[in-house]
Amino acid sequence: MTEAEASPVTERDSVEEERAIPDVAALEQEGEIAADYVEGLLDIADLDGDIDMDVEGDRAVVSVVGIEGDELVGKRGEVLEALQELTRLAVHRQTGERSRLMLDIAGYRERRRSELTKLGTEVAEEVKRSGSSKPLQPMTPFERKIVHDAVAASGLRSESEGEEPNRYVVVLPA
Amino acid sequence: MLEEALEHLVKGIVEHPDDVRVRARRIRSGRVLEVRVHPDDLGKVIGRSGRTAKALRTVISALAGGKYVRVDLLDLDEAR
Repeated sequence: MTEAEASPVTERDSVEEERAIPDVAALEQEGEIAADYVEGLLDIADLDGDIDMDVEGDRAVVSVVGIEGDELVGKRGEVLEALQELTRLAVHRQTGERSRLMLDIAGYRERRRSELTKLGTEVAEEVKRSGSSKPLQPMTPFERKIVHDAVAASGLRSESEGEEPNRYVVVLPA
Repeated sequence: MLEEALEHLVKGIVEHPDDVRVRARRIRSGRVLEVRVHPDDLGKVIGRSGRTAKALRTVISALAGGKYVRVDLLDLDEAR
């Protein structure tokens, strides 16, 4: 029996690219709704923490700062992703619009961003030297996007393969 | 605290927040949080492929200090 030609799904993560001009007032409103939702949870759970709101490009960003412990971040940020998902639903319930709001807790996303940018840059250099493609560990869509961007900035291409939650980036040689 | 947290999380995402009821029950293997919502909201709290239900369970387990807490989602009219 000949093995069927391997044709993994390799569509590029077109994670949130196209969008019209941002409506800042609408994004600020998203931030307000999200902040109320998250703050309510912090109060109930008796967790200290302040909430910062911001608009970055075309999305609202809500950050919990000054919080002790990382229980709301979780392993590989899984609790943070879950809470972001619920927060987006809470925004959607009130605005009727799909939200792309980003939630951050205790600077987790910023930290991940710099780690993964470094990783993407280093792996791109390695692939340039070796000339062969290199798969990375499974990552969330947020994380893969950062790696794709870092690889592109180094002048190479990358793709995502596999199925969630084990989808991973493959860095391709030139 | 967990019941209250769960009630807050669910009330924020449904169309009928006044119909949300959360009850804690003891079972032999631990604790169950039972959430009842308006029948029209059941699909919403479960989500596509159970995504929203999973997110609720993940956050509640984190607040329980990483201990597994069973969360059952039911509609208001379902007997139990």
